[in-house]
Amino acid sequence: MDSRDSSSAVASDAARDASLLSEDAAVLSVTSTLAKSALSCFQSGKFEDCIDILIQLDQKQHNDPKVLHNMAIAEYFKGGCSKSKKLLEELNCVKKQSEELASAAREQVEAVNPGTNVSVSKDQFDSTVTTLNIAVTWFHMHQYTKSSSILEPLFQNIGRLDETIALQISFLLLDIALACHDAVKFLAVFDYMDKAFGVGFGSHEENGSTMQLSSNQGSKTSSLLSSSVVADTVAESSLCEETLDYDNVLAEIAAEKRMKSVGHIPANNLLKTLSERSFSTADLKLELQLYKVRFLLLTRNLKLAKREVKHAMNIAQKRDSSMALLLKSQLEYAHGNHQKAMKLLVVSGIHKESGTSGIFNNNLGCIYYQLGKYEASSQLFSKALRSCSSLRNEKPVKTFSLSQNKSLLITYNMGLLYLARGEPLLAAQCFQKASVVFCRQPLIWLRLAECCMMALQNGLLDRSEIRVNVVGKGKYRKLMIEENGHLELDGSTQCGKLSLPLARACLSNGIYLLNESLLNESKSDRESTLSVGMNETKEASSADHGEANTNSDLKEAKGGLNQDIMQSSLSAFKDIQSREKLLIKQALLANMAYVELELENPIKALAAANSLLQLPDCSKIYVFLGHLYAAEALCLLNRPVEAGAHLSAYLVGPDDFKLPYEQEDFDQWRMNTSSDCEETLDSSTGNARDSVFLKPEEARGALFADLAALLATQGHHDQAKAMITHALTLLPNNVQATVTAVYIDMMLGRSQDALTRLKQCTRVSFVPGRLEVRAS
Amino acid sequence: MNRSTTVLMKIEESATVLSLLKSDLLPMEAVLSEFNSKLQSSSHLAVCNSLSMMLQEQKMLCGTERLIAFGIIYKCYSSQKPSFNPFLSEMISAACNEQLEKSERAFLLHLLQWNNYNNVKEILKQSAVDYIRSFDPSTHDFPELGELQREYGDKADPGPSSHIFADYSLKKLLHDPDVPRGCDPDSPEFDVQPGGNPRIGSGDRDEALSGLLENSTMAGLAPRWIRPCPPRYSVHQSELLWIDPDNKHELVWDDKMCADTSRGATVRDLLVKGLKMTLSPSEQEDITTELTNDPKLVYHCGITARKLPQLVEHNPQIAVEILTKLNNNKEILDEFLAALVNMDMSLHSMEVVNRLTTAVELPKEFIRSYITNCISSCENAKQQDKYMQNRLVRLVCVFLQSLIRNNIINVKDLFIEVQAFCIEFSRVREAAGLFRLLKTLE
Repeated sequence: MDSRDSSSAVASDAARDASLLSEDAAVLSVTSTLAKSALSCFQSGKFEDCIDILIQLDQKQHNDPKVLHNMAIAEYFKGGCSKSKKLLEELNCVKKQSEELASAAREQVEAVNPGTNVSVSKDQFDSTVTTLNIAVTWFHMHQYTKSSSILEPLFQNIGRLDETIALQISFLLLDIALACHDAVKFLAVFDYMDKAFGVGFGSHEENGSTMQLSSNQGSKTSSLLSSSVVADTVAESSLCEETLDYDNVLAEIAAEKRMKSVGHIPANNLLKTLSERSFSTADLKLELQLYKVRFLLLTRNLKLAKREVKHAMNIAQKRDSSMALLLKSQLEYAHGNHQKAMKLLVVSGIHKESGTSGIFNNNLGCIYYQLGKYEASSQLFSKALRSCSSLRNEKPVKTFSLSQNKSLLITYNMGLLYLARGEPLLAAQCFQKASVVFCRQPLIWLRLAECCMMALQNGLLDRSEIRVNVVGKGKYRKLMIEENGHLELDGSTQCGKLSLPLARACLSNGIYLLNESLLNESKSDRESTLSVGMNETKEASSADHGEANTNSDLKEAKGGLNQDIMQSSLSAFKDIQSREKLLIKQALLANMAYVELELENPIKALAAANSLLQLPDCSKIYVFLGHLYAAEALCLLNRPVEAGAHLSAYLVGPDDFKLPYEQEDFDQWRMNTSSDCEETLDSSTGNARDSVFLKPEEARGALFADLAALLATQGHHDQAKAMITHALTLLPNNVQATVTAVYIDMMLGRSQDALTRLKQCTRVSFVPGRLEVRAS
Repeated sequence: MNRSTTVLMKIEESATVLSLLKSDLLPMEAVLSEFNSKLQSSSHLAVCNSLSMMLQEQKMLCGTERLIAFGIIYKCYSSQKPSFNPFLSEMISAACNEQLEKSERAFLLHLLQWNNYNNVKEILKQSAVDYIRSFDPSTHDFPELGELQREYGDKADPGPSSHIFADYSLKKLLHDPDVPRGCDPDSPEFDVQPGGNPRIGSGDRDEALSGLLENSTMAGLAPRWIRPCPPRYSVHQSELLWIDPDNKHELVWDDKMCADTSRGATVRDLLVKGLKMTLSPSEQEDITTELTNDPKLVYHCGITARKLPQLVEHNPQIAVEILTKLNNNKEILDEFLAALVNMDMSLHSMEVVNRLTTAVELPKEFIRSYITNCISSCENAKQQDKYMQNRLVRLVCVFLQSLIRNNIINVKDLFIEVQAFCIEFSRVREAAGLFRLLKTLE
């Protein structure tokens, strides 16, 4: 605050103090003058000078925690914001020290006059700023949970804090909550802010009529555009040059204004810097409105988000509307209006700033991904990553560039893209990098496991063929079916570090995290389960996945209070989340059962399959997989009768199977992965095709084939023969079914049939025995 | 399905085995010990596996070769009880197979040490050729299959893998004779004649044998289970991360460093209290004195534009005091005044403005917009409560009269607005008074 004074005022102030007050006070005023010049050095980016002054101060005020604190900050900036770990150590040290001093001072005061609750040294040893800075640093290191837990005690007592600090804490908490998708926490903080800072928030009409008293340049222009309808259509309907220029002008004005900000590195981008001076009530109002939209987008309440983003546009029209436009673009993206989203993204103008061009490219990449244009998407993500890394390496450090370092998020997107393109190795690398941020989320573990499994499939493409060794010639020509032998010969299972044991580890991580979060959820929601439960049953029947997850069918609390709207969004979002968790759980368990089978661990596979089958509202596809895996595991455990029971769940009549799931169940999956198919993939990347799941009829074929295999082992060769014939009509050319058929033929002594079958199947490769090249 | 490790024979090993099979003139004992010395025990299983597969084909091996092959299988497991031999069941079924030569079956019974067939050592001292030549079928009787199975069957080791698919796996070769259509593949004409030109459909038995030895694997043909890979979990649109720029959470410089904190501490505390309740006269006096003593204190006394309305409501005098002190900082004063305009009309706020007008010179546009606000508040109060509205109108009239009397405002600037206001609320006595005042000024 002091820095508001002009330098001459400072000097005269100091002089007056020195002449009037005691010697002690004189020392104080010298130090406070030094403190002021340290601050001004800091603000103008002269970190070395700043540190010199701080050293002087430290000599005068020995071990003053605040001096040490500022020193740590200045050193950090001097080092180009690279030594975050060191900064954290120092800040923690300062914090500890000031707490010790504070408690010592308190004891002293109480010893002198006990009983009085004096807040004498409150300011001097207050560690709020230090704590905030620790939290900020963790935030930039993407350690959101840590950051949040550090801020929590501050937030508890936020009413007692300085307004600036309180705002900073609140905004940081909001961003943390958004990063963690934690709508509950977000709302708690937002409610506080709405009450404490949201002046007249929520009533729409006042925003046209309010007189702008301040000499803000923007207000003159704003009166021209104050009609909300006009303003909105201008921004929405066109890429109008004027609007863009206007925004830029405002951005520049805003940036200029912020150059004077207190206690901060001067910043020159269009994003808000929090500081007392630059945050006028109107700015704050816009900011809160934007956060409200982000909350609604997070909770997928698109209908209300649309309304609120309009309101945000109205407010923003007088200022910087780039963020509002960006949110509008996100809204259209969520609606699936990709063209519109793209347009708005461009209008938002964030690509013009080096600080946000990475974000622009990332978002555009998301749009292209949804359009199924993977090549373009991939280029955009790479571009986004490049601009992030160039931002980090920028010298001198102009802003706290770490704060816009979104590279880990972009890396996650990249991982999804590689996975969609069937490149598991690259995808896994991305997910592993991004796990720094997402390691608490079950989904990333599922994705990593999928990478392993895809690598396995790609590496073992041979498995999709039957290899028949042709030995001898002429009269002595013999065929030897070699079905298992090529595993070691391939050597390709060692795809980088991906392996089935890794997949298993990832899946158990995912299951653990998911169970943990489900447990927490049920704990915290015990009171409100009633209403949630009712919604769930209603909506769960409508669909399992996809579109149902938009919150749009939410009752629009028109005219309701701000809080009510957000509260109802929140509870609807909780439903969505718990439904999604259930889906992820199904996927995790199904994958687990599969991986355990691959690892020849039938006991664990059976356990996973059984837990999958016990899940409530399990999707039909996963139920089918659960039965199939359980049956196979039971076979491997020599429990054929129980295995048969799993398969006969789908029997209709003595020897026919119904469809294990309907076309619509299957379509749901296909719809969600439809973007995979839009791009015409050439045969080289055709591996991705392999992950396309069985159609309902094919699944029925699998049931026939598996029952045939089971019957064959039980010696019921004739029944098995009938089953496998069914299977092969549904799954012609299926390798496993063909092998089983050959087996049954041979068991029935019809080796001529077997021979014909092998020769007719297109997926048999006859390998001349002699030509085999062997290294050893 | 079953991925148990595959054991393949090396080329040189298969060559050795092939040559041993052909050593029909050497004592079988010698052949078997040579087998032991040339092949490591680790490859025994693979060899036995291949041999057993070839033994199932009656035409693959000739009589002496079959004897030696069974001998090798026997030898590999001779140190253990017969029931540990994984190929026991094949030996048993061969011993009972009526289609096989009696000499071979007797040989197997010796190997199995069935009842009185116990001179295996003696027999192995002969060469394979000699054994067959000297064999006398009349001296032997052969047991039923069931008998042998009872003896050994239930003791038989389940073999290397134990689940049902592997148990039922089939080690069998498929015949696929490559001979011209209509020819009998069993005819000896298709055997390779030494020195003769190879003809279509001819094949070399030895070549086939070594091919089988080299290529055979442990696993047999078993029914296979279709195990679909679970579908990839679909990418919901929200999983792809759309990024919004954050607020820039900067590190904050602690500007309280070396600040004189004792100064003004009491004022700050009192003012925090003053946001919530009316302060006592002595407390108010303390604040006034402190503010006068330290002109800078007003900037860090904790009162901001946002907190001003609360202060106005509870302690209007202090609010006036603070606003007066801010007079020389235009920028901040503007902000505070804006807060004043935007807050709800009340007696206290009008009192503050009224007193402020006498203390300092206020910006014209502020007073103007404040009055406009007052008037519109009165109009909007209609919906609420008649009594409240009347009260508000009276207050505004008094306030305006005071401003006019003190020459704070130029009536001409606001004449039409105020006149309309007076007419609208002419039922209120003070409004009529104000109207008369306006008339006198005209």
